[in-house]
Amino acid sequence: MVSEDNLFEKLRVELRRGSLVLAVLAALREERYGYTLRNILEEAGLPIEEGALYPLLRRLEAQGLLTSEWREEGRSKRFYRLSTDGAAILARLHAEWAAIGASLDRLLTKDAKP
Amino acid sequence: MNLVDRYVASIRRNLPGDRAEDIAAELRDLLASRIEDREAALDRPLNGDETKAVLRDFGHPLVVAARYRKQQWLIGPDVFPFYLSVLRIVLAILALVFVVVAAVNLLFHGDHLLRALAGALGGLWMSALINVANVTIVFVILERMGFPADHLRKWDPGQLADVKDKQPGPWESAIEVALGIAFLLWWTGLVHLPFGAGGPSFRIEPAPIFTQLYWPILTLVAARLVHSLIQGLRPRWWRLRMLVGAATAVGGIALLALIYRAGRWAIVVPNGMPADKAAELQNSLNLSLSIAIVVIAIVWSVQCLLGFYRLWRRGRFQPIPA
Repeated sequence: MVSEDNLFEKLRVELRRGSLVLAVLAALREERYGYTLRNILEEAGLPIEEGALYPLLRRLEAQGLLTSEWREEGRSKRFYRLSTDGAAILARLHAEWAAIGASLDRLLTKDAKP
Repeated sequence: MNLVDRYVASIRRNLPGDRAEDIAAELRDLLASRIEDREAALDRPLNGDETKAVLRDFGHPLVVAARYRKQQWLIGPDVFPFYLSVLRIVLAILALVFVVVAAVNLLFHGDHLLRALAGALGGLWMSALINVANVTIVFVILERMGFPADHLRKWDPGQLADVKDKQPGPWESAIEVALGIAFLLWWTGLVHLPFGAGGPSFRIEPAPIFTQLYWPILTLVAARLVHSLIQGLRPRWWRLRMLVGAATAVGGIALLALIYRAGRWAIVVPNGMPADKAAELQNSLNLSLSIAIVVIAIVWSVQCLLGFYRLWRRGRFQPIPA
């Protein structure tokens, strides 16, 4: 039997997983180094496993939503930023996110009423 | 080579070949940044256990490497229901074969019950493994090819069976199709049974009537196969299904009548057994077969009449669907 805390944690992870792409795209409107990006997301309250974040960056780059380049900063570091296509997708996802939030707010507020 | 190098090398071995070096270089740098941060916070170099903790936190090398691959699963959630359905049917057919083989060994080879079951179970285990592996490989390929996206987009709800249709489910149709194919393969000599009919001192051969009726039997079983395929794949084609069903039922009863008139259906050929014993066994066998033929004829006739009754009732009381 799954405890309530375990169940909540599982559902919470599922809920947050859908928002991570949006968070990554939003954070990369300005160019960032992968490790810095991870810290910024954590500070913003959206911690993401490193083993998941870096493959996600590669996948978004392969989809044409990000661009990247190696640069020397003490040692070679890979920097990522939003591409033009990525900016367009981010705008659409942001609108979708706002709509989902508004819908959920309506539902939750309605359910909260006696 | 330090622990971080060994960790990155371990990931690199499982990365996609064309990007492996680039990804490994990035991971090496990211881990170095993480360790530098920790060292800066502690104001001292990390010891072995602390470095291990950083790597453990980053993830198991196989898991990290797998996340860089396009294919994240062998059989995904869209394909899985189809895979499971086919697997169940295949395993159900295997179980049926297991029962038949055990029964044949028990009845014709004079095996003890436990020995017959054990013999059939041994074969069943290997067959199950091979068939599960084959079905899995086929569905892994289908997953890679994008199935069932196209099927899910195009499937026709109009082809779903009527709730009021008292017809066999997809499993039953699939088993009928499998048995039909198996029979045709055996009847045409393309495959041979792994066991011969008979015992250590005799063998059982079919009577000449079966050679004379080779083509009618082949045609009848092929038609039944078509009927089962329509039943399983196109249940809404009820007119064609009932037409083929009625034709095969009438044809089957007519064939049974011809077979029954032959009067002898199995020949016992002695191979060390005394001739009188062989004749006695042959008579007993043919008596059993004559009863079986009569029973089958009665069952088929009842089924045939019920089928015609349902057809008549459907035409009379229900609007005929398009």
